[in-house]
Amino acid sequence: MKTYIILFFTIIAIVIFNTGCNFSNDSNQIENDSLNNIDLNGEHSKKVKKIFYNVPSPIEMTAVIQKSGTEYKPEILNSYKFAGKYIKVPKQALILGVYGSDLSYVRLFDQIQLSINYLSSIKKLCDELNIPEEQGSFAISRMETNMDNRDSLLQIITETYASADLYLKENERGNTATLIILGGWIEALYISTTIVDFDLEQNKAIINRIAEQKYSLSNLVELLKSYPEDKDLQEYLPLLEDLKLKYELVQIDYVKGNVVTEKDKKLTTINSTAITKMSKTSFEDIKASILSIRNKIVNI
Amino acid sequence: MNSILKKVAIVAMAIVFPFIVNAQCKGFTKKECMPSLKPYVYNGQLNSAVLNEGDVAELLLTFYSGQDYRIFVCAQDMLGNIEFKLLDTDRNTIFYNKDHDLVKFWDFKSNSTQQLIVQVRVPVAEVKSEIVQSGCVSILAGFKE
Repeated sequence: MKTYIILFFTIIAIVIFNTGCNFSNDSNQIENDSLNNIDLNGEHSKKVKKIFYNVPSPIEMTAVIQKSGTEYKPEILNSYKFAGKYIKVPKQALILGVYGSDLSYVRLFDQIQLSINYLSSIKKLCDELNIPEEQGSFAISRMETNMDNRDSLLQIITETYASADLYLKENERGNTATLIILGGWIEALYISTTIVDFDLEQNKAIINRIAEQKYSLSNLVELLKSYPEDKDLQEYLPLLEDLKLKYELVQIDYVKGNVVTEKDKKLTTINSTAITKMSKTSFEDIKASILSIRNKIVNI
Repeated sequence: MNSILKKVAIVAMAIVFPFIVNAQCKGFTKKECMPSLKPYVYNGQLNSAVLNEGDVAELLLTFYSGQDYRIFVCAQDMLGNIEFKLLDTDRNTIFYNKDHDLVKFWDFKSNSTQQLIVQVRVPVAEVKSEIVQSGCVSILAGFKE
């Protein structure tokens, strides 16, 4: 009888264990039935077992700001001093993403002291999120000696966020990693829409980059959908769906060109062109939506 | 009683094992794959999974205009040479590593921002075996400023 009781509780424990893990499982790796007819190698159709969705990093998104010559506006950022005011884990993860974008922005203007301040706040949040020092913020200890140039800082930011993402997914906390991505993407778009003047010709590259987020937004929405049981992520889904509706009015006309592969360089160049059309009204609508989501994120 | 406990242990192992393997997969990616992406900057998002032979996985990502990208497909040796393709959203093939000696990484540049798909496939073993080979596969994306 005792054996059966042990057996019963073992099975229950296993079921709970699995449910718990699935809840926070690295489920941006979802199974998908809609994508079939994969014809690799000319064989029978194969079903896609896993689909991953990537969102451009804040560094990629903000790179265009540097070239546009826009004025430096640190006052629009979420202050590094607020780090200690975020108590709950989901908020801390979102703000970790926000600070990543803020840091990417100040880095572009070579603001060394402010960069150190943001990195210290990032370290604090990593600690709060139980991301171990050697994984999530090991790079911080190097900052004093390595902050002399923009490239070193890029390395530190990249290592810090990549290690945090890896650690969280390694520990079945993919939902927390997704909150960081969400916070970072929204903040980068908030910075871009806030610093830009729609009517200025020299801002055209940033305006185009904002319009092009139509693609990344779709990936982000799918990423959030892959955590259906995470209420914190699902809370943002309707807001992103609403933003997606506004992005529907952004038109990207894509003209395919030739593809050139240089075997010796191991490089393929895709010579396509894209014409992006976004009206000022659409821009203002998108900007307002982004501001609203951003305020919800940074609100203490 | 011992026999029942053994069965319980086997069932428990069978259920818990995938989670252990999954964690090991992330460790493999960190040690064996990430360093090979340099000098490209890793985009910070881990795309790794335990796949069986014959499995197909896809990564959807955005390439920005004028930026250089590296796609690196990294897998455990027992899986053999992994095939990978870069597709556009109409599923036209832009690059197929089978045309280039099943190379593990390739660099890309796009003149316009676009959504692209990296599709990977684990080969099926030529010699049929009752044991299906499975192992860790990672798709890493890096960029240059």
